[in-house]
Amino acid sequence: MRIKARTLEALYALLLLLPFLFSLGVFFLYAFLRAVYFSFTDYNLFSPPRWVGLANYWALFQEPSFLLALKHTLLYSLVVTSLQTFFALILAIALNRPLRGITFFRTVYYLPSVISTAAASLLLLWLFQRTGLVNQVLSLLFSHLPHLAGFALLFLGLQGALVLWERRRGRRTPFLDPGLAAVSLLGAFLGTSAFQAWGLLQAREVRVDIPWLPTRASFLGLPYPLWAIVLMNTYTTIPTFMVLFLAGLKGIPRTLYEAAALDGATPWIMFSRITVPLLRPVLFLVITLGLIGTLQLFDQVLFVGGSGGAPLESTITLAYYVYGNVFPSGATPRVGLASAAALVLAGLTLVIVLLQRRFGVGERGWS
Amino acid sequence: MGAKEAVRRRWAALGWAYGLLLAFGVFFVAPFVMGFLASLKTDPLEWPFRLAFPQVSPKNWAAAWRLGQAGSGDPWLGGMRPGRQVALEVVYFVPRGVEPTLLAEIPRRKPGAGMGAVFETPYASDHVTLEGPIPLERRPAHQEEGEIIRYRLVLRYQGEGPFLERVPLDLEAPRGMVLVEATLDPTRFERRGRVASWDNVTPGLLGYVFHSYVRAFRETRSLETGESLFLRWTLNSFLIAFLKVLTTLVFASMAGYALARLRFPGRQALFLFMLFTMMVPGQVTFISNYLVLRDGIFGLSTLFGVETLLNTYTGLILSGLVGASAVFIMKQFFESIPREVEEAALIDGATPLQTLFRIVLPMSTPALGALAILTFQGTWNEFFWPFIVLTSPREIYTLPIGLLSFRNAYGQVGDWGLILAGGFFSMIPVLILFAVFQRYFVEGVNVGGVKE
Repeated sequence: MRIKARTLEALYALLLLLPFLFSLGVFFLYAFLRAVYFSFTDYNLFSPPRWVGLANYWALFQEPSFLLALKHTLLYSLVVTSLQTFFALILAIALNRPLRGITFFRTVYYLPSVISTAAASLLLLWLFQRTGLVNQVLSLLFSHLPHLAGFALLFLGLQGALVLWERRRGRRTPFLDPGLAAVSLLGAFLGTSAFQAWGLLQAREVRVDIPWLPTRASFLGLPYPLWAIVLMNTYTTIPTFMVLFLAGLKGIPRTLYEAAALDGATPWIMFSRITVPLLRPVLFLVITLGLIGTLQLFDQVLFVGGSGGAPLESTITLAYYVYGNVFPSGATPRVGLASAAALVLAGLTLVIVLLQRRFGVGERGWS
Repeated sequence: MGAKEAVRRRWAALGWAYGLLLAFGVFFVAPFVMGFLASLKTDPLEWPFRLAFPQVSPKNWAAAWRLGQAGSGDPWLGGMRPGRQVALEVVYFVPRGVEPTLLAEIPRRKPGAGMGAVFETPYASDHVTLEGPIPLERRPAHQEEGEIIRYRLVLRYQGEGPFLERVPLDLEAPRGMVLVEATLDPTRFERRGRVASWDNVTPGLLGYVFHSYVRAFRETRSLETGESLFLRWTLNSFLIAFLKVLTTLVFASMAGYALARLRFPGRQALFLFMLFTMMVPGQVTFISNYLVLRDGIFGLSTLFGVETLLNTYTGLILSGLVGASAVFIMKQFFESIPREVEEAALIDGATPLQTLFRIVLPMSTPALGALAILTFQGTWNEFFWPFIVLTSPREIYTLPIGLLSFRNAYGQVGDWGLILAGGFFSMIPVLILFAVFQRYFVEGVNVGGVKE
């Protein structure tokens, strides 16, 4: 008997796909369907599930800790995704030039993103202690605020004077001429040091003493411990996304910028009319990956909470809520409720990704 | 605008660019460097943060090396063995009118806290005898305001006894007497500076500079076997990452090839389904997966005599054979290579399997390398699923889970030096890997990302 070529090919495909299909079937499809089923039942991992209909979903939106977790998760995800996308883009544009030694710098910048969330969380715990480095650096900044202001004023004044002088002599000089700016920078530095020496500028006594972790206080709707996690996570994810943007930027032909420059386009117009539209596919990817990653915040919550850390109601997220209901310490697992919450999380992810695809940045580029 | 002017401007722009790069570099590296320095300090949370502290002074390095050598013959990790003796010199300033009475003592201090508190370790005070302080030299100082006295202390370990990991020492001086100099700077001052306290006077170089690391390593030991848990966790993480890289490379290539080249019904649907799986968070599927592993994958494991796959690596590996994103990367890569090569092989009668393993894969080393690195990094850092599957005993933890238990053991007492040390310790392997394969790391993301 001869098997038709088509059938043979399909059989080979099946053979090659078998391990993947096993993984996908048992540990995703089956698991997903079971989660949907569990979400309609009352189940505690040991006795068989009992059908309760939509009661879990109803109960979920009545429960304060779930609503809190939902709010935290949404806000956290929004803040981190915007921050990391913005800074990664800026950094990529700054790095996207043919400079000698640029690969070295890229490697160095990539460093924070190779370490595990566990190690990063331990570093976070130290950084955000009451006398930790973050409060120390803030104190240093605030106590030298007069110096910073003096420096900025001197720089602007000097630069203005120099540029005016150059223009008087009939040279077309942009305000941020790099050569003059270097001179102004040096002048501002010397000036500030001199003022300090004469006693005109004095450091103030400021001690920033923010209790980042063991607190219930919140700022703009997010508790302080979550802000600490926001800062740390933005810091560790910027490099990854920066590399994605850099690869995208390489794909934009230089001639476009040259043509625009000939037409007299300013850097801002080039950025908003050429760079951003052509980067849309990458932008879509970065935002999607960012959202998916941040909506599932879990590890850091466990590390930052825990003994001697932040209280649970300041750090709870949806992912943690799910985990906490399946494996509660010293209570009956509420698997039905947890499954419902997990599905809400999944639905949220899908909706947000689809929404930004529909209205925000599409993957097809500019139209 | 003259040509000279343009050249000057270009140089200045270059200078600004490098300045900017440097500033960003400082931003991305500084927290690590500062954290690392803090992990060496006695008090990692000191205010203000000093960059010069005893553990980075060469004078102390030399002293720690010498004292370690004298105490145990091991200049690196120090300690004290029977029959050895070490000598320490301290210099005090004694103001006029103060009676110079220096009291020395080997305190009976429990070595270790947290996890380390469980273990019985011998007390140095039971075995080591102290001789001194003996005044060696007195001379007036500060225009007769007082005098400088140099003392000598000798610690002797006579008779038989166990190896002592550390020998602490306390020196108590009356108010007004100030410690000016010491062979080895004291670890800390207590009681308003009247007591100078050494955690270990025979530290050895590593034991002095990396005291938190040595403690982290020594104190996290298995209760049954006494072996270092940190080392065990690191090896576990390596084993799992290695296995997972292996399964991912093989199975992702197979599935990716099928999706890229072979025609079969449902191909498009499968592809869309894959995209869907990438968006569903692990919190949705982990409950069922936990139950599946608990029951040994529908009871299949009982055929091999295993009741449950929880707390086993078999379970962990089987539940994560290959991820959809890995298949996706390989599919995209295979689609980017020209078909002609394979068609020649197919015409010669090679099966798709032979084509894949003999012709396509040998051409795919860059993609495979990038995928290997990405998978390794992902597995090495993975937390949630191993945390669910591997719960007991502590010996089977992977490094991230181990770090959590470590953090919980020491967080209550606020031993941040030790916690930081644990964190940095866990970074070493992945940092080495990064240093060697950094090209793959930085470019690996591209392979997965941009072809979308």
